[in-house]
Amino acid sequence: MEQLKQLRAQAEQAIQNCDTLSKLNDCRVEYLGKKGPLQEAMKEMKNLDPADRPAFGASVNEIKSFIASLIEEKKAELEVKEMNERLEKEKIDITLDGFEPNLGNVHPLTLVQQELEDLFIGLGYTVAEGPEVEMDLYNFERANIPHGHPARDMQDTFYIDAERLLRTHTTAIQTRQLEAHAPKLPIKVICPGKVYRRDDDDATHSHQFTQMEGLVVAEGIQLSDLKGTLEFMAKKMFGDKRVIRFRPSYFQFTEPSVEVDVSCHICNGKGCPVCKHTGWIEILGAGMVHPNVLEMAGYDSTKCSGFAFGVGVERVAMLKYGIDDIRHFYTNDVRFLKVFSRFD
Amino acid sequence: MITSKKWLSQYMDLSDITVQELADKLTTAGLEVEGLEPMAQGTHLTIGYVKECVDHPDSDHLHICQVDLGDKVDQIVCGAPNVQAGQKVIVALPGAQLPNGEIKKGVIRGVESNGMICSLLELGVDPKALSEESKSGIEVLGEDAQIGGDPLAYLGLDDTLIDVGLTPNRNDCLSSWAMAKETGAILHKTVTLPDCEGASDIGTPTQLKVSSATPKCPHFMGKVINEVTIKPSPKWMQDLLHAAGVKSINNVVDISNFVMLETGQPTHFYDIAKMHQDIVVADGFDTTYTALDGVEYKIEKEDIMITTQGQPVGIAGIMGGDDSKIDESTKGIIIEVATFNHVSIRNTARRLNITSDASVRNAKEIEPMAVKKAMDRCVQLLIEYADAKGIEETVVYGDSGYTPVTIQINADAINAHLGTDFSVEEMSEELKWLDLNPQVNGKDMVVSIPSYRTDLKIQEDISEEIIRLIGYDRLPSTLPVMPMTVGALNRRQAMRRKIRTILTGMGYNEAETYTLVSAELLKRSVMPITPVVELASPMSEDRRYVRNSILPSLLNAVSYNQNRSVKDISLFEISNVYAEDAVEERLAVVMCGDVQKSRWQKLAIPANFYTMKGLAQSLFNSFGFDANRVFVKENTLDTEHFHPYRSAALYLGNQLLGIFGHIHPQLAKLCDVDQEVIMLEVNLEVLLNSNAGKVKYVPVSKYPSVTRDLAFVVNKEVPVAKIKELIRKAGKQIIRQVDVFDVYTGEHVDADSKSIALSIVFQSSEATLTDAQINEIHDKIIASLEKEVGAKLRG
Repeated sequence: MEQLKQLRAQAEQAIQNCDTLSKLNDCRVEYLGKKGPLQEAMKEMKNLDPADRPAFGASVNEIKSFIASLIEEKKAELEVKEMNERLEKEKIDITLDGFEPNLGNVHPLTLVQQELEDLFIGLGYTVAEGPEVEMDLYNFERANIPHGHPARDMQDTFYIDAERLLRTHTTAIQTRQLEAHAPKLPIKVICPGKVYRRDDDDATHSHQFTQMEGLVVAEGIQLSDLKGTLEFMAKKMFGDKRVIRFRPSYFQFTEPSVEVDVSCHICNGKGCPVCKHTGWIEILGAGMVHPNVLEMAGYDSTKCSGFAFGVGVERVAMLKYGIDDIRHFYTNDVRFLKVFSRFD
Repeated sequence: MITSKKWLSQYMDLSDITVQELADKLTTAGLEVEGLEPMAQGTHLTIGYVKECVDHPDSDHLHICQVDLGDKVDQIVCGAPNVQAGQKVIVALPGAQLPNGEIKKGVIRGVESNGMICSLLELGVDPKALSEESKSGIEVLGEDAQIGGDPLAYLGLDDTLIDVGLTPNRNDCLSSWAMAKETGAILHKTVTLPDCEGASDIGTPTQLKVSSATPKCPHFMGKVINEVTIKPSPKWMQDLLHAAGVKSINNVVDISNFVMLETGQPTHFYDIAKMHQDIVVADGFDTTYTALDGVEYKIEKEDIMITTQGQPVGIAGIMGGDDSKIDESTKGIIIEVATFNHVSIRNTARRLNITSDASVRNAKEIEPMAVKKAMDRCVQLLIEYADAKGIEETVVYGDSGYTPVTIQINADAINAHLGTDFSVEEMSEELKWLDLNPQVNGKDMVVSIPSYRTDLKIQEDISEEIIRLIGYDRLPSTLPVMPMTVGALNRRQAMRRKIRTILTGMGYNEAETYTLVSAELLKRSVMPITPVVELASPMSEDRRYVRNSILPSLLNAVSYNQNRSVKDISLFEISNVYAEDAVEERLAVVMCGDVQKSRWQKLAIPANFYTMKGLAQSLFNSFGFDANRVFVKENTLDTEHFHPYRSAALYLGNQLLGIFGHIHPQLAKLCDVDQEVIMLEVNLEVLLNSNAGKVKYVPVSKYPSVTRDLAFVVNKEVPVAKIKELIRKAGKQIIRQVDVFDVYTGEHVDADSKSIALSIVFQSSEATLTDAQINEIHDKIIASLEKEVGAKLRG
């Protein structure tokens, strides 16, 4: 029994001294293996007095399980230690550059167009499109711009032949929408698209540009509805503090017609170079759809009314992002395009 | 339209309003003031008399002048070459603010100087309005100038020009009288116009005959005045003409111009001695004609001409002839006032490139009563300022076609249209100021439209008049009250956005290029649709055609970027392309360099054939067209723009979807891009018009999958697709995936062979596969590949 006690203490010490898993394993074989001292002790048992055997056996078993549990404990401890040592060796330089995937982005004109589309979709508008190679009928005639009107001058329009042209405004989409819907009410559409004018390209002119017009026709639509709608748009596009003002103007398509100014988003209306010190920035033209336009499309203008507005997508993008030259949009310099990948 | 404070002050009292306030009010009411320009600028100016002028002892060009300023005589040093004793001059006293700065007392080369003798240029007068003499030295005033008086008032330069941008519906305001009426209505001021009505209704019997042989001249008034005295016109008239930018010539010519400015109606005076008294307006000439300005113009059949005895004497409404013009010797005149078709005048003036005050006005519709008004006013002014005598009766061809217009309006309807709550009184007040003479009956009103307001035709026009005069600040802000509508994108629009999301997510930037292209660019079109749409009269050869392919324009963008040392370029564009009877929405992609990369990790997604192929398939997958439906075939369609052995055509079923691959070296050279550009153009209509079927959930197999790798050596010409197809055929239901993970040629492999390593995933949806099952398929695959394509399993 004394020997067993000694063996217990010896084994405990040996396990404590193990500093690697392999030494611990050697230890396990040494004490718990088939040729270990405990197995030997059990073999000795037959030489004992039968009365002492149960106590001896219990002692050996107790030591066995004691050693086994010590080994398990030590094993867990050493495993953690070895893992930590390995992790330390795996240290990397966290300051090296990561693999930053190139994020592409949509064109700034698309960005503005989608933003406008989405805000109007939220108001229940659908998005209508139409051909860029358009008929004179839809571009001019139905827009209340008859033959002989100065707006039709060859100077302004790219004609293809007597009947066809490149549309000069997205009003052509509106006149098609009116014809397609008449006499059904209501109409609530926005009409984005490329348009073309005979202009020499410079910092502020482009022979190709993008417009987005809106059209609402229903019973009882009034001019004040236009103001409320455009106020909503101005706040969404340029910030909550924006206010708008109407100035009288003239378009064949509408009567009354207005130019719409938004209070300058740069100076908050105090006056700055962007707003030419007026505090206001002209952003769109609008008005109540001219009764002739409704009648030509097949509506009874005494039973319904509508408003229409048109905004230049380039102009909004230029104001919003501070772009100084309209030609940048069509040059596609990758360094210019990448600016617009950020969430804004 | 240029007007001025002095012009408007003729008709109403503007003493209580500054020019700036006036401009703001006009702008707010729809007559946008685009500029205010004082005719001359300067404070502390006075008229001085040069009593003495001697050369400066220390200078070869300065003069020392003793100048009488009325209250005192002061010494001024002047450098102008034309200064002389005995002149009356403009003096800027010390403290004067001139456009180029303040005038101070000073000493010039040792001599005291108390101010400056000024030229008109130094007062900021528009050089275009000045004679060479005025521009080259100080302004010498007339004998009648009062010493100590205001030189700007003396010169008629005490005025501010107001540049009003007229909208096309308000061409009536090209008449100062209409402009005055409009201003009065905006300011609520009573306007008094000169009373000349009936002034031309006098006269003795006449021999004059006027007629028109063309419907383009429906109304013509002629009148003979046998005696006029040619002399300078009164100063007030000269000043007003000057303000309007019209040069004063003599009283008779000035009256013709002045009446045009007043009434908006151009008139023409002929020297009676140089004209037959039989005037016919006609068109149909095909000739040349030398006009007043000495230029020979090519006259075409549609141009309206003034003729006498069959010979042109003027281009109607645009410019008269030299033979019959008024000069110092003129003793009597024939007055012409007529209405010409404004579209015809506009076309002729534009073609001949003539812009005159008359052509600008005649090119627009002039109010019907203007002919008579102008004739009355001419006669009145000629009697008063040109001693007109021997006046014969007016000869009239045609008529004005004017019938008075009244419009029935209703206050409730107007408020409903505008969304306002204006009272009947408020409305009728504004209408009175506009001279619309509203007759009120409850909520109904009848308004009478003055002849010059041809733009007012319907109730909506009147509603605009009301709100612009009351002011848009009174317009409330509301949202439409109407039936609910659902806002949404249609399928095409949603698809376009999905493409953008996918491509931008993979690192591609969206580009936008021009629709109009040159013949050169058109030759580079991929999958061109024809016949090409061509403009009738392009601005330049660069923009003659409507494009029928996007890639040529995108290649220009690549070239632009490569020339600026941008190496990695991944661009796409979605755009319509056109042919005479067709339109297609297309997607084009170009790439070069790397699409993605991390250099130190030596990782990259390079721009190559397979990157583009994968991109395209990935895109098609997302629209429900997987590799089983999209066929990649040899490109036999376009080997001119694409590398013939590194490009392919894409088909959806039997429809051509697109072409992609390496650029052809010759096209690369033409486009000035490097040869490693990869490009793709896809016809999106094919995707849009094909049925992809519904998205449907298929349960994921709960049984394990087994992966086996195989390597074969086959002849180089055997396409990998064929090998994959044979494997799938052999495996039928249990092969889930076949991936190539290595393709090798070189050492250890015969020169005409290649080694293909594939990894095959086996899985059943019904049970766990046994080794025996897999081995059976495995052996089948090996046998099939050996038999069909002579593939040998690598050891």
